[in-house]
Amino acid sequence: MQILRDSAAGTLESGDAMVRVSPSDDLEVNVSSSVEVQYGTQVRAVIADTLRQLGVVSGWITVVDKGALDCTLRARVQAAVSRSCDQPLDWKLVVEASR
Amino acid sequence: MMDVQLKTVTGELDASLVGCVDDLLQRSDICRDDNIEFWALAFSDNALIGCMALANDAIRCTAIDSAYQSRNLLAPLLAEVRYAAIERGRPQLFCYTKPQFRGTFAGLGFWPIAEVPGLVTLLEDDPRGVERYSDGLVSTTKPGTPVGAVVINANPFTLGHEYLIREAARVCAVVHVFVVGEENASFSYADRYAMVSAGVAAMPERDQIVVQAGSRYVVSRHTFPQYFLKDAADITRAYTGIDLQLFRDRIAPPLGVRHRFVGTEPTSKITAQYNKEMAYWLQDAISEAPAIEVHEIHRIGAGDAPVVSASTVRSLLAECRLKEAKQLLPPTTYDYLVFNMHIAQDPVQYAGPERRSGADPS
Repeated sequence: MQILRDSAAGTLESGDAMVRVSPSDDLEVNVSSSVEVQYGTQVRAVIADTLRQLGVVSGWITVVDKGALDCTLRARVQAAVSRSCDQPLDWKLVVEASR
Repeated sequence: MMDVQLKTVTGELDASLVGCVDDLLQRSDICRDDNIEFWALAFSDNALIGCMALANDAIRCTAIDSAYQSRNLLAPLLAEVRYAAIERGRPQLFCYTKPQFRGTFAGLGFWPIAEVPGLVTLLEDDPRGVERYSDGLVSTTKPGTPVGAVVINANPFTLGHEYLIREAARVCAVVHVFVVGEENASFSYADRYAMVSAGVAAMPERDQIVVQAGSRYVVSRHTFPQYFLKDAADITRAYTGIDLQLFRDRIAPPLGVRHRFVGTEPTSKITAQYNKEMAYWLQDAISEAPAIEVHEIHRIGAGDAPVVSASTVRSLLAECRLKEAKQLLPPTTYDYLVFNMHIAQDPVQYAGPERRSGADPS
């Protein structure tokens, strides 16, 4: 999927994450997490993995994580990307990737 | 668990809300900004307990009732403002707040980029935003030293601006001209930028001069938030501190700028204070960036005016006194006004940059 316009998903409540995406020629992912010390690496890995599954190769992605579980993080990234290109999520991709 | 209801308002608050918003803001020692486009409000039992607002690309007027400050109300308010900003095509936000709330906003994904102790902190929601802008400036450098800079609004571009730039070019091998990018002036940014570019292209020194595109990191005095500062002196101190820190630390280094040129207005108290602040932030303040020498250039007069100022030109244009305005403008600006903006001699056709219809010919 290609990020065509600015969009966002999620909230800043505890246990959730807010994901913003914007079009860009390069891929840049910025993450700030309230659980950086314990899970920062894991949070980044989940985000990178989700973007890879969605086939996002370029874009400017900012995630403010408030201690979201992996499944929540994935859902928020998927929702933000899908809103940014007016395309419904390809659930086949999502399901296959999570097998 | 406390029950909190969120409400959002686009544009003006209605009469029933203005009172309680003002009351909440006043209890936090802040006044309501007048150019707010969107409000997020939090209520508990029909009483307003928190508010946050969006103006241009900045979060403003944030206040939480002191009894609810530990309840993390900022998170839902910020989420509402965030979605409203994205809807309006503004993916990146600034946040102006008091320095004591810097930590709170840091937890919500904001990084401080400039601060005047005790008065104001400017944060942005991108850890590399200002750095990316700094890096981008490197490609606009020109060989030669010394390097100088001029920051102008050019609303519109006058003989005064032209003189300031030419004086800078007399001292410096390279001069970077920054046009304030914010859309809050009588002439749009696109028009102002076009007038500056045309004016510079007609100067004998044009090869030494780089006209820089407007940037959100060149702060305009007109859109700087004033609402949480008590008096005019504090506002000037806060505005200049933020603007000049960004200039010295982020804008000047990649370009090698060591000189800044400003016009003086001997009669204006605000300008006198501004220039004093400028000497402090650009030269004396502790910073990793090299000091920048400030050059005050006395304003010139032209035609019947003792000093050329853009505000004089705007009043003349508003009164259809194009002939008098012409004396204060470089030919390039005059041509731009007449041919591109269709400002005409005939008051029936034109009645100033803001009023285009219903002109009174008398």
